[in-house]
Amino acid sequence: MPSVNSSKPVITGYGCVTPLGVDVESTWTGIIEGRTARSPISAIEVQGCRVTEGAQAILPEIPSLSKKQLSRLSRSSRLALPAVEEALQMAGLLDSRGTSIYPRIEMSISTTACGMEMGEQFLNSIWQDHGQGQTAKVAHYQAQQQVSEIHRHFRFHGPAMIVANACAGGGNAIGHAADLIRADMADIVLAGGYDALCELVYAGFDSLQTLAPDACRPFDRGRRGLMLGEGAAFIVLESEAHAEKRGATIHARVAGYGQTTDTFHLTQPSQDGKPLEKAMRQALQEASLSPSDIGYVNAHGTGTPFNDGAEGKAFANVFEGHSTRLSSTKSAIGHTLGAAGAIEALICIKALQTGILPPQINLQDPEPLVSKALVKMDERADLKAAISVNLGFGGSNAALLLTRP
Amino acid sequence: MRIGILSSGAVTPGCIGVESLDSPWPQKLVVSGSGKHSYNASLVDQSLPEITRWGKEPRLRRASPIAYYMTEAASQALSAVPDINLSRTGVIASFFLGCLVYSVRFYKQMTTEGRRFASPILFPETVFNSPVSHLVSTLGTSGPVYSQVGDKSCWANSLRTAECWMRRGNVDNVLLIGAEEFDPYQLDAFHSAGWMRGNGLVPGEGAGAILLTSKPSDQSVILAGLSDGYCYSSKSEALAAGVECLAAHPRESKVMPTATGWVQQVESKVVGDRMLSGISHPFCEASTASAVWDTIRAAKLINQGLTQELIVPYWGLSQQFGAARLTAPSFTS
Repeated sequence: MPSVNSSKPVITGYGCVTPLGVDVESTWTGIIEGRTARSPISAIEVQGCRVTEGAQAILPEIPSLSKKQLSRLSRSSRLALPAVEEALQMAGLLDSRGTSIYPRIEMSISTTACGMEMGEQFLNSIWQDHGQGQTAKVAHYQAQQQVSEIHRHFRFHGPAMIVANACAGGGNAIGHAADLIRADMADIVLAGGYDALCELVYAGFDSLQTLAPDACRPFDRGRRGLMLGEGAAFIVLESEAHAEKRGATIHARVAGYGQTTDTFHLTQPSQDGKPLEKAMRQALQEASLSPSDIGYVNAHGTGTPFNDGAEGKAFANVFEGHSTRLSSTKSAIGHTLGAAGAIEALICIKALQTGILPPQINLQDPEPLVSKALVKMDERADLKAAISVNLGFGGSNAALLLTRP
Repeated sequence: MRIGILSSGAVTPGCIGVESLDSPWPQKLVVSGSGKHSYNASLVDQSLPEITRWGKEPRLRRASPIAYYMTEAASQALSAVPDINLSRTGVIASFFLGCLVYSVRFYKQMTTEGRRFASPILFPETVFNSPVSHLVSTLGTSGPVYSQVGDKSCWANSLRTAECWMRRGNVDNVLLIGAEEFDPYQLDAFHSAGWMRGNGLVPGEGAGAILLTSKPSDQSVILAGLSDGYCYSSKSEALAAGVECLAAHPRESKVMPTATGWVQQVESKVVGDRMLSGISHPFCEASTASAVWDTIRAAKLINQGLTQELIVPYWGLSQQFGAARLTAPSFTS
């Protein structure tokens, strides 16, 4: 496929909040120690659901905001703001007051539920006949409000692409940011995703009976479903020339991006895994790499029978005969929906930097198709490149190929 | 890179097809979900055969109204160019509220009947990108697909995404759709946000679609410029954002009247005598659908020879502004 490729996207900063920790280091430590964040859900009402456990984040302190200001933020923004701060800080884009050194920074972000609890509160207020004050919170529900809150907090603005490609959105957001840089349409983009636990989405997955009643076991023959989680992750992407000009440290590169749409079914992937395979091959082609160059794949690996079955086939089709290692970190962090692709890209960056592979936890009876590839505890490898893949409702597939600097 | 408009389609409260964009649309008094307010709204006639025919498609049988509107609008745009390569055609759908009807219904069901009794059929249809998944499956495009969300101005960013894909060479064409569906609780939300206060805002619904090409013909209206991401967080900041947004385009270019509600005051101050005269403001506010309708109306005015170039602002009611500059195929500034 002919493509413009004049600017190379590099990663100069990253940050996250996950159920395993309030920043990258605590999250990464939890991952490589093989911990899971599964616990009873208390942040939202789940009474009456078949499953009442999941992966819940501890909301980080935001010292620069007053109690009143904090009370106005959606849970999504409480997760997103600290993750953005960590990413911008690492990239050297914040001044001593904690505000952006650039007045305009483009954003490319993903969410599936926006600030959903504000919408829920709005409807409940109407049904319970509360006053105008409660219903006015509806204005904070939409995704552009979370963008506004990021803009206001760090004092920058600019175009914001909010992609809602369901659970593939985080990968799409980072892939799109890389596309903007390659197309010479942006020098610097803040990319990532966020999603907070909310009643509608939790009850929705519960209604589909896709929530695991016990431990989430991706790629295990006894897998019984996913563990819903929440979180946020952001990555600062820049053109290599821009990063070098300002002397920024380059931590990794987005060398390839693939995106396909699987029209097999609204909520189930094609069982031959072909659309996901195509997305991975697109990413490999863009990066001019072959499957043997890929040391690690962070799978979508929700732990549902259909997802892991299709994904296992796609993985086997692309990487059979190679030493590529595979794991899904959703058994540790949970499925963070719109944030998943961004969090998992970040985990790939840490694996590339440290050479430590994220273990596949909760495994008892591995799927034969991928059993040899699944990462064990304390595995290390000299990684050159890694792929993060995500699948979403509606058939969205995204594959991000990341390399060392 | 030259990007042109190949074709377009529309489902409006007036009727089906882009011809319906020019005549005023019916309005009716609608009681809000809470029962506390009544406002005029401009709604699509869902019994029209052009809408109901999509119910025969397996993927659309259980879908929400928005999926029907956008599939019909997209179908019009695609059928106008029958020889298009669908494997080199990307799709971008823009939403302000998305699948509102089913989201409200699902949440009401789970809160009144109990979480365990929430419908597993309804929930997937509440997801933002479900309608576009149905559309792609039904119409058979196989290029990249994004669902983008935001206020009306997110349409400007969708145009930017389309430009990015074309510059990268990923696609030859991009089908862009803006679509919204109406739910009576929307009136409560707009009321709470203060948007219904004495400014004649008429909420609406429907869809619009345009097919962009990286290989425009000598008949294609050209997307000559784009400004995006001029944000505000208060009405007082909105004026500065509007000025900055339009300053990205040539000062001598005429501007199409596209504002509704409170933002009309901003438009009036920012645009002043650059406003194209003799053109009505939109008949209703259907956010991203309105943004597409405004774009199609502007392209029609250029095609009719009324002007050689026109700026089409996308005045978001909640967060930001964007604008596109359209020109006649032969226009050189």
